[in-house]
Amino acid sequence: MDKLVQYGRSLLQPLLAVIVGLAAGAIAIAIVGGSVIETYAEMWKGAFGSFYFFTNTLSRATPIILIGLGVALAFRAGFFNMGSEGQMVLGALSAALTAIYLPGPGWFKLTAAIIAGIISGGIWSALAGWLDARFRMNLLITTLLLNYIATLFAGYLVSYPLMDRTGSAAMAQTVMIDQAAWLPKLFKGMSLHGGFIFAAVGAVLLFLFMRYTVKGYEIRMLGGNPLFAGYGGVQRGKLMMLSMFVSGGFAGLAGSVEVLGTQYRYLDGALTTPGYAWSGIMATLLAGSHPLGTAIAAVLLAALQTGGMGMERNTDVPLEVSSIIQAVLILFVSAKLTYSFIKRKKARSSDGAAI
Amino acid sequence: MLLQMNSITKSYGSVTANSGVHFTLRKGEIHALVGENGAGKTTLMRILYGMESPTSGEIKLEGKTVSFASPTDAIQNKIGMVHQHFMLFPSFTIAENIVIGREPSKAIGFNRKAAAAEAERLGKQYGMPVDPWQKIGECSLGVQQRVEILKVLHQGAEIIILDEPTGVLTPLEVKELLVAIKALARQGKSFILISHKLQEVMEVADRITVLRDGKVTGTVDAADTDAEHLSRLMVGRDLIHITRNDTVPGEPVLEVSNVSIRGDKTKPLLDDVSLRVNEGEIVGIAGISGNGQSELLQAISGLMKLDGGAVKLRGTDVTGAPVQTIRDRGLAHIPEDRYQWGVAKDATVTENGLMGHAGKHQKYGILRGSSIRGMVAEWVHRFGIKTGSLATKAQYLSGGNLQKLIVARELAQNTPFLIAAEPTRGVDVGAMEIIHGELLKKREERGAILLVSSELTEILKLSDRILVMFEGRIVGELAANAATEEQISLLMAGGKAVG
Repeated sequence: MDKLVQYGRSLLQPLLAVIVGLAAGAIAIAIVGGSVIETYAEMWKGAFGSFYFFTNTLSRATPIILIGLGVALAFRAGFFNMGSEGQMVLGALSAALTAIYLPGPGWFKLTAAIIAGIISGGIWSALAGWLDARFRMNLLITTLLLNYIATLFAGYLVSYPLMDRTGSAAMAQTVMIDQAAWLPKLFKGMSLHGGFIFAAVGAVLLFLFMRYTVKGYEIRMLGGNPLFAGYGGVQRGKLMMLSMFVSGGFAGLAGSVEVLGTQYRYLDGALTTPGYAWSGIMATLLAGSHPLGTAIAAVLLAALQTGGMGMERNTDVPLEVSSIIQAVLILFVSAKLTYSFIKRKKARSSDGAAI
Repeated sequence: MLLQMNSITKSYGSVTANSGVHFTLRKGEIHALVGENGAGKTTLMRILYGMESPTSGEIKLEGKTVSFASPTDAIQNKIGMVHQHFMLFPSFTIAENIVIGREPSKAIGFNRKAAAAEAERLGKQYGMPVDPWQKIGECSLGVQQRVEILKVLHQGAEIIILDEPTGVLTPLEVKELLVAIKALARQGKSFILISHKLQEVMEVADRITVLRDGKVTGTVDAADTDAEHLSRLMVGRDLIHITRNDTVPGEPVLEVSNVSIRGDKTKPLLDDVSLRVNEGEIVGIAGISGNGQSELLQAISGLMKLDGGAVKLRGTDVTGAPVQTIRDRGLAHIPEDRYQWGVAKDATVTENGLMGHAGKHQKYGILRGSSIRGMVAEWVHRFGIKTGSLATKAQYLSGGNLQKLIVARELAQNTPFLIAAEPTRGVDVGAMEIIHGELLKKREERGAILLVSSELTEILKLSDRILVMFEGRIVGELAANAATEEQISLLMAGGKAVG
């Protein structure tokens, strides 16, 4: 019973944020002159209206979930990994290049590409961890700045030395990956691909790992109170490198499955323009770093995005309304701290004091 | 009668913190309020200070019924409170801290000179001289305590509530404080003194009210009672007298030789420290906090790097080894600051209890939930840890209960060597008994214990040998049966050893 109440409480905050976000969206819709109910109905249809749209939403959610999981792990350990974008891009690039240039049968290329993606994302992230452990460089800043290095480097590679010159389209992209090495689609004619399985299994595994393993326990204690963890014999440096590696590995996996399941090549901007990385961080914040919650929040955010597209197709309301809802969501999630502050104050004043 | 609190009852849901409490205070009286943790002392005073409102009951001040909605109300009615944790601004001067809220002004500016003069005048008038221009951050805790009292006096308080005022002070500072309180009482100020140190209470108070489980179990004149009687009123039964059996110390377990830590300042944090703890022996380290004890413990347990010297545990050199290695070799550690080192506040009781025990309760890296919960539940039962459930977050436990959890966790490591730093800080008499008993039991089972405590009575009660630290050095070693409190106090203050 206590547990139920606790779960209810932890759900209350994100639900409240969603409701307020939708209310703010309603105001925006009213201002541009649309019908609120009709617009939201279109949005719902665009996200969940048919099996096609539903799987479309899930496929958009796939990279967001994976990135969210990685960020959640780092957050739990007490590290702010803001570098998911760069880790994802490097993961995607490595996966693409491995799948293109490695000889062998399709399944072998596919497996190797995914592993390469995870490792390169992980190393990029662990590099930031190493800079922190070795030179005390602030992780928040290094991870953020390493994003630029990664995306611009990848952009350079596909614009010059590795650019696809086979077709007439002069786009910054690599050549197409051999079809044998593609991640299979889960349903014929739908965009949802095998990467979603990785995301779903990943969420469950991460949840179990954090909750029931010794390492997961150590990571949580490290995030809870680093001095306590150190006093109890947890080695911060080692565990930090490990959590940063796994965190980046998730982002690298996100990039890999997008390349191997959707674009079938590394296309400059295809991962950064939709803002997968930032949506992933948002999902984590929305769910308070709970792995399963992160997955659900990621689907919700993806639904807002795909729903927004549906709304734009069928009404005069512009796509930006869904951005407004997202922005309000972030605002209210960041209000979490303020909210708990108010709660504390309230508790005090209900005791009879008004400080 | 200056103050009357009649039939004060305060309930939080189903929990009753105060039930029908009567409390009175005469002018110029020092009235001590004693009781174990959670007996309701602090709640009663929070009600008086306007921080809580009573569920029922009334407060009369000089015969008039009053009710305070906030501390501001209480201050306006000349009631002041000095909290257990000082509420001062470290980067401000003493004068600025004293006049805060009622600053003397010049035109629209703050008149710093007048503030200093005021602080100096107050200090002189009440026999607690201070240097008004000194920054709080540079003051000893004793001076900070003085500043807190002067601040309350500057607010015009006639009734002053002191919440555990001596907890952080050195024996010398305690004496000074008690003298100052008595002098102020003679000048007509009235004091309510919350404490659990019966010795001090007996020394300074005129009357003593004992609370147990939210009820008054007795109000007595200090002249008519003794510590024995008071503790019976507090605990509700006779205390068990702990006896220390003689043991013969055996092989050395911990050997610290010539350890130095330079630190950032000109003075080294640790300067050529050597000591040894043998099997079946408790070695006590006395000293005013901040004289290198923390660094020494951190150096031994692997949390701080040494600049010189060596640490040997059970014959193996563990200098500079990782914490885990040292713990595996046979070290458990009750840390001095429970919130900083001892727990993760957002984690549950079970999770906090698991630290250091994970290795025993796992299979292939997977934790065994039921055996962990069984282990922690047993401690909760044996040490009487008051917690909602095992899944309660540590931050919701009272300090004393958290301390019991930490002590239980570290004792259960069952290691040959134990560091016990301030093992009973903030715990009540009953729990102190249990913890002291467990430490002595460990000693009889041939364990080696290094005890660091700012409570001299605790050091004297438990130790076989006593070392005194001052400014990063060990300045004296005394056999416990020959040592006196005066001797140790002198060494702690940097004086030369006598005899």
